[in-house]
Amino acid sequence: MQMVEFEFRNELIKEDFSLNYCYQCGTCSSSCPVALVTEGEYNPRKIIEQSLLGLKDLLIKDQKPNIWLCCTCQMCVEECPQNVFLTEIFERIKNRIVSEGEPYPETFKTQAISVIENGLAIPLTQPIIRRREQLELPKVESADINEIKKLLEATDFKKKIKILEVSK
Amino acid sequence: MSYNYFLGCVIPGRLPFLEASARKTFEKIGMKVGDQANCSCCPDPTGAAQLDHESFLALGARNLCLFEKSKSNVLSLCSGCTESLKTIKYILDNDNEKKEVINSKLKAIGMSYKGNIDIKHFAEVLYENIEKIKKMVKKPLKDLKVAGHPGCHYLRPSEIMNWDDPLNPQTLDKLIEIIGADPVDYNLKNDCCGNPVEKTDKEISLIMLENKLKSMKEAGTDCIAVICPACFQQFDFNQREINKRNNTDYNFPVFYITELIALAMGMNTEKLGLNFHRIKVNDVLQKIT
Repeated sequence: MQMVEFEFRNELIKEDFSLNYCYQCGTCSSSCPVALVTEGEYNPRKIIEQSLLGLKDLLIKDQKPNIWLCCTCQMCVEECPQNVFLTEIFERIKNRIVSEGEPYPETFKTQAISVIENGLAIPLTQPIIRRREQLELPKVESADINEIKKLLEATDFKKKIKILEVSK
Repeated sequence: MSYNYFLGCVIPGRLPFLEASARKTFEKIGMKVGDQANCSCCPDPTGAAQLDHESFLALGARNLCLFEKSKSNVLSLCSGCTESLKTIKYILDNDNEKKEVINSKLKAIGMSYKGNIDIKHFAEVLYENIEKIKKMVKKPLKDLKVAGHPGCHYLRPSEIMNWDDPLNPQTLDKLIEIIGADPVDYNLKNDCCGNPVEKTDKEISLIMLENKLKSMKEAGTDCIAVICPACFQQFDFNQREINKRNNTDYNFPVFYITELIALAMGMNTEKLGLNFHRIKVNDVLQKIT
């Protein structure tokens, strides 16, 4: 049985008040390309409904619907007659999944580790550096990694996303 | 105020030939664009940004601080980077409390976000210079049917992006038109290419791509034009994957709009690195010469 958690609901509303405006018309789901190809298994209207009802376990533990399938195309936000900022609310829910230590797709974590270690999601490799020279492109002066480390320490990033030891 | 490039991660690290065409195009229309050292990942609005809001804001604000220090606006070569940076600017410029929190984090590296620069997508700047481009066209791409894929983060959310029509975009097709090609009108023009879903479910990502390809094919397409490196990868890398799985024969060459513009301006194809495309572009080159 699913528990209603008002506190969770109120926290979400505090983070994005537009959640309150939803009247469940379903325009978001009918404009969602992922809902279309999954025949409604991924369903933005349902995620908003569960948020309004405070069904935290369903969203955070069971992850039904799977919120990581959102393609962030923002069509739902654009089409919503009530100006609910769905993708912003989804981002907050994903943040909660991560900070509560629930599982999330590995690719997101791999990318985050690369940003922590290199400052970039895709580090420069030797073949690409050679290709850049071949194309007469200037050298990329990437981010000062110490600055990135200090900044992400200030935001507690590693702890929040449950990466305790980053491999060297 | 002048512009510095924000290259992001995908273009310099994987698709440098897209950068070559962009630099050459802006040079040709007489725009001097500088380089901004010390940039990090924007961060990716479809990736790391989804994990922690505060780190997303802080990393992006740090990038913006670098441009503020250079007294230069951002010219981004990637739609994802444009959306992230515009979103971060929008949030920090409208929410003083958040701005204070982020500035307290930036203090650790001696920076402070002010909010006095602008962020533009390269296609936005190209469109603003469309008359200059028109004058530079030497070899119009006559009879070439180009399916423009505007993509998502170039346009939406419109309240933040504040550019073009988010549901019926026109600017990319206008750029295709100005270089003498025929923009293809196809049903799923405004749909996502499916790239961001690949992180979670490759199957779904490929179905989304195939739906787009089918729609392009039905409308009679010679090649595809994109303005985002994530979309470029999805179209250029995954058509073969779809063919392998479904026994189809999709083989549309994929171009960055600046590659097509450069070709129409008569630039050397070797210097553009067109040979680095996975789907060979020879048929198109033959058609336009």
